[in-house]
This record gives sequence, C-alpha cells and structure tokens, in this order.
Amino acid sequence: MAVPGIGDAVSRTEDQRFLTGRGNYVDDITLEGQVYALVLRSPEAHARIVSIDVSEALALSGVLLIVTGEDWQREGFGHIPTKSAVRTNRDGSPIAEPPRHCLAMDRVRFVGEPVALVVAETAEVAASALALIEVDYESLPAVVDPVAALADGAPQLWDDIPNNLCADFELGDAAATDAAFAEADHVIAIDIANNRVTAVPIEPRGAIARYDADSDSFELYNATQNVHANRDTFAEQVLGIDKRKLRQIAPDVGGGFGVKNGVYPEPALILYAARQLRRPVKWINTRSESFLADTHGREQISKVELALRADGTFLALRTTTTGNIGAFCWTVGPFTPTGGSARTQGGPYAIGAMHYQAKAVFTNTQPLDPYRGAGRPEASFQIERVIELAARELGFDPVELRRKNLIPRAALPLRTPMGLEVDCGDFPQVFERTLAMSDRGGFAERVAASRARGRLRGFAIAPYLECTGGAPNEYAGITFTADGLIELAVGSQSTGMGHETSMPQILAARLGVPLEDIRYVQGDTDATPIGGGHGGSRNLEVGGNAVAQAADEVIDKGKAIAAHLFGTPLDRVSFEDGRFLVPQTNHVLTMPEVAVASLDPGRLPEDLQPGCLNTGSTFARSAIVVPNGCHAAEVEVDPQTGIIEIVGYWVVDDFGTIVNPLLCDGQVMGGIAQGIGQALLEHAVYDADSGQLLTATLLDYALPRAGDIPDMAIEYYEGAPTEKNPLGVKGAGEAGCCGAPPAVVNAVLDAIKESGVTNIDMPLKPEKVWRAIEDARRAG
Amino acid sequence: MQDFSYQRPAALTAAIEAFEQAEDGRFLAGGQTLLPVMKHRLATPSDLIDLAGISDLEGISIAGSALSIGAMTTHARVASAAEVHDAIPALAKLAGCIGDPHVRNRGTLGGSIANNDPAADYPAAVAGLNATVYTDRRRIAGDDFFTGFFETALEEGELITRVEFPVAAAACYQKFDDPASGYAVVGVFVSRGSQGVRVAVTGATPCVFRMRDLEAALNRKFTPETVSGFCVPEEECNDDLHATAAYRSHLVGVMATRAVAAITDGEM
Amino acid sequence: MATLTLTVNGKPVSAQAEANTLLVEFLRETLGLTGTHVGCDTSQCGACVVHLDGLAVKSCTMLALQAEGTEVTTIEGLAPPGSLHPMQVAFHQNHGLQCGFCTPGMVMASVALVTDNPNPSEPEVRQGLAGNLCRCTGYQNIVKSVIAGARAMER
Repeated sequence: MAVPGIGDAVSRTEDQRFLTGRGNYVDDITLEGQVYALVLRSPEAHARIVSIDVSEALALSGVLLIVTGEDWQREGFGHIPTKSAVRTNRDGSPIAEPPRHCLAMDRVRFVGEPVALVVAETAEVAASALALIEVDYESLPAVVDPVAALADGAPQLWDDIPNNLCADFELGDAAATDAAFAEADHVIAIDIANNRVTAVPIEPRGAIARYDADSDSFELYNATQNVHANRDTFAEQVLGIDKRKLRQIAPDVGGGFGVKNGVYPEPALILYAARQLRRPVKWINTRSESFLADTHGREQISKVELALRADGTFLALRTTTTGNIGAFCWTVGPFTPTGGSARTQGGPYAIGAMHYQAKAVFTNTQPLDPYRGAGRPEASFQIERVIELAARELGFDPVELRRKNLIPRAALPLRTPMGLEVDCGDFPQVFERTLAMSDRGGFAERVAASRARGRLRGFAIAPYLECTGGAPNEYAGITFTADGLIELAVGSQSTGMGHETSMPQILAARLGVPLEDIRYVQGDTDATPIGGGHGGSRNLEVGGNAVAQAADEVIDKGKAIAAHLFGTPLDRVSFEDGRFLVPQTNHVLTMPEVAVASLDPGRLPEDLQPGCLNTGSTFARSAIVVPNGCHAAEVEVDPQTGIIEIVGYWVVDDFGTIVNPLLCDGQVMGGIAQGIGQALLEHAVYDADSGQLLTATLLDYALPRAGDIPDMAIEYYEGAPTEKNPLGVKGAGEAGCCGAPPAVVNAVLDAIKESGVTNIDMPLKPEKVWRAIEDARRAG
Repeated sequence: MQDFSYQRPAALTAAIEAFEQAEDGRFLAGGQTLLPVMKHRLATPSDLIDLAGISDLEGISIAGSALSIGAMTTHARVASAAEVHDAIPALAKLAGCIGDPHVRNRGTLGGSIANNDPAADYPAAVAGLNATVYTDRRRIAGDDFFTGFFETALEEGELITRVEFPVAAAACYQKFDDPASGYAVVGVFVSRGSQGVRVAVTGATPCVFRMRDLEAALNRKFTPETVSGFCVPEEECNDDLHATAAYRSHLVGVMATRAVAAITDGEM
Repeated sequence: MATLTLTVNGKPVSAQAEANTLLVEFLRETLGLTGTHVGCDTSQCGACVVHLDGLAVKSCTMLALQAEGTEVTTIEGLAPPGSLHPMQVAFHQNHGLQCGFCTPGMVMASVALVTDNPNPSEPEVRQGLAGNLCRCTGYQNIVKSVIAGARAMER
C-alpha cells in the first residue's frame, strides 16, 4: 500500500460504493415506521390567501397530519433569517429583510411557495390529499422582471418595502472613476443580461426527520451541503429548540453546486411533523417540483462602461447592475448581486479606478441564492463582454487589447480598486500558454474550411480572476483507533467533489501512511464541533489546510512520544517520510508504531495520556485567495439555423498547489459544462403576466447533454502557490463557470462579426443567433 | 400515479374486449408518453390494457413493394433492422433519432402515431411515405390518419395493428430537435418514388401536414433551389417557449432544402 | 395487487406489486435495490436505467407488472459480488463520476451502448449517452471511461 503524495492523481475511494449501487443517498434510507410528507405549493405568483380548507384532505384514509401557516404561527415558530454579508445600503441604512416563514401566512409571493405540508402513510395518499386541500386565493398583480419591479407603479411585494428594493449597494471610488471617464479618449458601454438559471443537481432535495420522545431529541438526514449552519438555524431560529438536541447528517449527497447550501423550509416542517406524529417523516422532492422549490441563480441586468486611452489602455470601469433576488431574502440571496459580484470586478486587468453599483430587487419569482460562482461569473462576464465590444468598436485585436492590459507579474501583490488582495499569479504567462494551446496559427485555415461548408468560425479568449468564499474557519479532527485506523473528520463536505479521497490524501502524505489506513467522516454535526460545509470553493483552502495543520500537530506530539521511547531529548527527534528518527542512530519508529504506543499508558511519558495523539485543529482563513486562469473557445456557427458547435476548448488554471490533478480536472470540466449550459442552453423563464415558471420540467429547461459539451484541454500553472495558506492552494470548484460563458459568447460573436451583431443575451439559443443575424441583415 | 387495473391480454380480440369492458380504458403500447403523463396525474385511466403480450403486433417484414411494421415494434428495432435499412434507410434514421436509446427500446410505432404529438417524428414518415395504417377493423391512408392536434382518424377502441410503408426510391428526414426534450421543433420528411415527391412536415404546426405546392414544384424540378419560394406561413406555425412561429417557418425551408439536397447528393 | 415473477440480477423473484407501482419503485422499495435512482419525473435523466432482457430501459417509465417474466439487471447485479465489471473499473480509473447519483444509470447505459457497438467512436459515445444526464463531470471523463471500458470489454 503506497503512500500518496500531494500532486498525485489518486483515483477515488468513494467510487467503489457509487459504482456498485451502494451509495447511501437520503432517498435510500428507510426508517422503521416512516411516513411521507409532501408540500402543497402555491400555484399563484402573487395572491392573498383568503382561506384554506383541509377538512376533506384530512378525512382521507391514511392522512396523518396537515400543517398550514396558521398552525405554524400558532406554534410561534420563527422565520428563517438571511445571512447575507451585505447588511447595509450605501447610505448606511439596513437592507430590507422581510420575514421568510416556512409556510405562507396570509399571502403567497411566488409560484412554488410552500402553503401546507401533508403527511400520510404513503406518498400516494399524500399526493391524493394535496389535491383535496382547497385554498381560496385572491390574485394580485405580479412582477417578475427586476427592472420593472423598481419602477413606480409596479406591483408591490411587501407593504413596508418601497419599490421592491432590498438593497442599494456600491463599492469603489465613484469620484475617481468619474474623473477617469472624463479624461478618457474612448468610453465603451454595453447593456447585458446575465440569465437566470438553476443548478439541477441530479439528486433532488429531500430529508428524513426522526424524533425520540424519551430524549426529546431529533435526527435529520438531509441532502444538504451545510449541516452545522443549517442545524443551528432550524433549531435556534425556527423551531426554538436546543441545537444540541438536533443532530443533522448529510449522507451521500448527489450534487449541490450551491443550491443545497441554503436553509430551506421543508426540513423544519418535517422535524415538526416527526415530533407531532412520533414517527419518522420522509420528504423527497420530484424533479418538476425542484424547479419551483430550489433556489435559482444569476439574473442580473447590467450596464458596463469601460474608459480607455487612445492606445487601448484601460482607465476605469463602471458597472451598474440590477439583480433579481426573488420574493424573499434567501440564505445569502442579497449578497450575490451586490458584494458577491463586486469583489472581482475588472478581472485580471490593470484598471486604475472602478465603481460598482447594484440594486437587489424583490420580484414574484423563486428566490435566488448562490449557484456555483455566486457573483464572480457575473463579474467575469461583465468585464469580458465590454472588452470584446471595445476591441470591435475601436478596431483593436481582442487578443492584443487583453494582452496589453493584463496585470503584470511584477505588479503583484496588489489591492484592486474593489479591495481584493491579489497576492500572486502570472496572468500574462497563463494567457500566453492558453493562446499557444489553441493553435492560433492554424485558425485562418480552419475559418476557410468552415466557410466552404457554409459555417462561420470564431474564437475568443477569456482570462478570469475569482476568489474563494464561504465560512472562514474549518475543523479537522484526527483520531487513532486501536485497530490501526486513523479517523479523519472534517467539517467541510463533499457533494461529489471527492473529499473522501483528497482530504485523506493530504493527511496520508503528511503522516506518511497509506490511504487505506484512513477512514473519512464528514457531514455530521456530531462528528465535528464546527463545520462550514461546502461553498465558495473553500474546501481545500480551509478544510485542506485544517487537515495539514492537524497533521503537523500530530507530528509534534508524536515526536514527544518517540523521544520518550528512544530515550533521547525531544529536539533530536525529527520526522521524515512517515518515520520518527534520530539522525545518525538506529532509532526509527513509523507513524503507525507511534500511534500504537500513544494508546498504551506503559509506553508514554508521564505527562501524556493514552489517546494523546488525537488532535482537533481549526484553521482560520486570514484572507480569501484568488484563483485565476484563462479560457479560450473556438466555435462554428451555422448561420442558416443559428446552431452553435464548440469545436475547441482550452484552459490554463492557476489554482496554486494542485493536490490531486485527477479530481481537479473533474472540477474544471464540470464547471465549464455548467458555464456552457448557461451560455448556450439554460434559462429559467417566467411569464411576465402570470408569473408562472415556464421552464418547470426537464422537457423545457435544457441541461447540457454529452453531445453539447466539447472535449476540453486543461493545464495548470503551478508557479505561484499562494502564501495565504500553508498548502498554497487557491480553490478550484467555481472557476470553470467564470471563464466559460464569456469565452463561448465572445467566440460566437466573433464568428458572426461580419453580420455586425455585437450582442446577444445568454443563452445563445439557435433562434436568437439566427434572428440577430437576420435583423442585422435587414437593417443593412 | 393513481391506481388502475392492469391487464396483458395475449390476443387482439381479448384486448379489444378488455377495452370495451373498461370504464375508462387505455391501451398501453411502449408507455414512454402515457406513463409520464399518468405520473403527473394528467391521465387517470381506470384500466390499462398492455399490448405487449400480443405477438402478432410486433415484427418487420417486406410485403411486395412495401415494408410492413407491426404497431408494437420498438423504435430501436426499426432503427437497426436490416430490412428497414435496405428498403427505406431514411425511416431507420428517423426511428434512430427519436428520444434517446432507452426510450427507443420501449417506444413503439403504433404508440407514437396513435398519440400524434405535433412534435413527434413518425407522423412525418407516415405522411411523407404515403403509408397505410392497418387497424383491427380497417385500413386508413396515411394522408387521412392524422386529423388534428393530438387527433387521429382512430375510433374509440380502434387498435393499430401495423403500418405499411411503400418503398420509395429515395427519402430523407431532416430534424431540428429541441435540446431539452429531443422532440422535433421542425422535422421535414421528403420522399421521391414512383408516385412522385412527398414533403411532410412535423413540429411546425399543430398537426403533421404535406406541403403539396412544394411537392408539385419538386415533381417538376427536384433541386434544393426549388424549395426557396415555398414556405409555411408564420401564422400557421406553433409559437411557444421553444421556438417562435417565425423561426419554425424559416426552419421548414432550411430542413426541406437540406433534405432535397441530401437526396440529390445521394446521402440519404 | 398482483404477483410479479421475474428474474432480477440472476435470481428468481416473486413478489406482490400494485398496478401503479413503477419498476423503479419495485426495485428500490420492494427488493431494496437502491442503486437504481430517480432523478426526474419526465423520463429525461436516465438515473434509473436498468437492463431488461439485455436492453437499457428507464425503470421509471415502466410499470413493474410490465416486467413480468423478464430478466432485469441492475447496477448491483452487473458484476458478481466482490468484483467489478470492466465498465465500472473504467469509470473509476478515468474519474467518470463525481457525486455518483447519475452513475448507476450511466454505467448501465454505457454497458448497453458497448454491447450494441463494441468499438464506439467519441461522437458515437456522446450520442449514445443522450438519455443520461450528468451535472458534475462535464461528460468528458464519462466518454473517456466508456471508450476505455469498451476496450476492456473486448478482452
């Protein structure tokens, strides 16, 4: 059994159970006596609830419990607060946060809002009961577009929140930016929309709640990304119970991408139902229900302005955006279009002055919350689209214009006008390597070959810069067992990224033990005292460093044990390649040997107790880190139909130290596929009048399939590991969907540039491309 | 899914009898449309009469100058059968682009045309090849079979047994499919045989139809250029989330041109 | 209720099933074979793909009673206990899975694809997987896995 190193492409431990059908997802769990819950969801986008009659549904044989907003209110349960890091408006006043209850009280504000919970002996009976609940709605006018919602006279979602404005945010130096614009030779402005999408992990959300009356305690098995934070909210803020009485376990979770991060109402509802009924209650969303019940992402409408000197030097950037956050503040909803999109404005370019203004707006739509990238993909799209337009309008080569303005390596570290500390990297080198991979020399020939087949070919390059986020602290616990295993428990959590392999890989490499000796534990509030779950590409950065830090503490303690066993002074013991030794002697003990000794009182110095090697350590992030890289795409467009084919895709990423390139590739590929999905296929569309979600099934919401995604060539630049953390890692999970949308959209616009078309809003569905070309042709 | 009673008769007569005795019976062919609809409780039949036990309804054979395909023959079988590849390769290709491989392993010819989804593929072949639909009680010309939006000439309880496709000299099906559902946003089936040219269009309008004016022009001059100048008016086209009427109208021209070009180039 | 008799993973099975029980529900709930997953309700995702008499089908779009007399293979029965099918090995070696939820259906679809076409090209694999959605991998490593698995199955 080999000891893995940092940087080895170790294939995954967890694969064995996933490949043989022995994964343990929440719907695979059956608890003795379990009953089934379904949620009645609002069919109305905006309506007053006049009355709810549950009598007929309750009379149905097998129905056990129906909970409405009135019941919820009577129990005195609290609402679910937002944890948005942006709490104040530009004028210092607090942002508007209306109460978000688990069930609608007297009014519904989006299609899909939970109105009642039905619990029955079987899911079939619960479904029949749902149809028998009579809700009398009095329809109100609805608004789904955030710009329309801000206008005077728009339907008002909240009586005490004027103009549906949740947050009015700014960052950067307005005066300096204005001054730079005033003296610029050129100002280029573009109006763009970032489309509303949704994550669609293939496992729908679901949970099972169990209540034990003897101990007055709960267990919640939940398909969540964040057991600790959500447990705290359910217990302390909603149900008013001691959080020590609620254990939350995330079993295997079938994808998350941010959408399983927030606090949803259903788990709180079934916890309550389990206590009322004294029986385990299971709830699993259907896919179609998920479109109405999972948070959505993105949706910003922006004006982006770039000031340039005559020679193409960027002087200033001004972004003014309106972000839809749906009907409520979700868990961090108001943050995404404000702080989340502000930090990485301007990308990896040297821009002297920047100003970012954003309004977060309520509409009668499903609330929005972080989706892979949460603001950084939007920022990347904003800068890259305006640069592409500037190149076109001013006659610069888009590659040259970017090259000219990239932050040079010598300028680092620096603090951007948005306050982001960029410590290291080599943006020009990453850019040139990406260009070299994409065979620019052969491009003209490929364009001609495409043209001969009636196709148009285009290319674009898109450098990006993003940053990590999520909970700043993470815990790693290491326990040595008598059977020779090392249990590693970490408070971050995998929803598919492979922590069960990558985290033990770090520990194994540090301690010099084989992977097989490590048992990994995650996703359990009882397993770690704290845990930040998954989000913001944080796992390696804070979780991985917590493991490394804990491992180093184990080694220090191990040295004391070894010194005692060797009978030598502590300062003579060193640790190399998994062995404690005294140089120039035959004193050698392996890590497992010291671990065995650590459990034996007879072999320990007097001041150490058995189990003394066990270690729990919390790593605290000093500053967020800055992953960066460069994407390039080549596309072919059929101008007769507008069909786009991505024929080449190249990436160079700087994620600092690469712990496991196999898993890292997987993160990049998956992120790019979601970025391509947003660029070409995906769009959550609401009817402007009725507020109905028109894309509420997989027949209507197009997810990328195998034939929609190209082969991607991926390389890493490892010349600039960050010094912000001991492992030198920068985070990899969200980078793909920052780079892909601008690379693909700009490549398509390059392909059809002769038509004169300069903008098409995502997703670039064939019809939109065809229509843009047609309209431009007709306009002459 | 609401409860119902399920039967799998072994003979056609038993199936028809079961249907007549049911309060609100439905025949179950491959179930690839009906079962999802029932899951969403959009159909709640009292009885499902599964036709899978009736072996007479399945199979492919050549009968003179026609290809006969049993109603319960799956898309996968049609797509891969040597008889179909030899006789009407365009039909094999059409069957091979319905849904996805798993759907094609269950979905059937009879189920597809009986449902007559406006975005289904098979109706284009039935109309475009002048096929004849045989039922338990009569034969219906392909041109008369599809009568409207999800409507056919089938009477209550009438059961398709097989479809006979005349072998055409050349044919091609060009499809622009929806990326989410795989259904035809527009599909155009062009055939050229002893009876002349046929052009059938699916997806564009509420029901499959033939472009007779274009057929006449192509009978005079079978070139891709002939297609330009003939279009399906925007007003007649479906307009929905997946495509506007204007785009569908445009796509009919593009797909028809490409089908004719493929036939003239010999790449069917 | 009717008695359903069929072969599942090589073993004869006889159990009660309601008319409205889907094959996937029968497999998961009656037989406890939870490796077959449900990811959608419109027959789009393919997480529920099993083999029915050797053909890949969506077990969420079939009644259990329609499987009377058939031979069903699920992910649990693809290889003898304690061993892996070459396609499972290929997915592991090529990192063809992440969260694992689509994986059973993806592997079953891939085995059927290669059974039909023992030496598929990359575009043929991509087309052949049109009935299976994956949200994690971007498909590239799945395609690589299927091609590697095909080679291993030939041997």
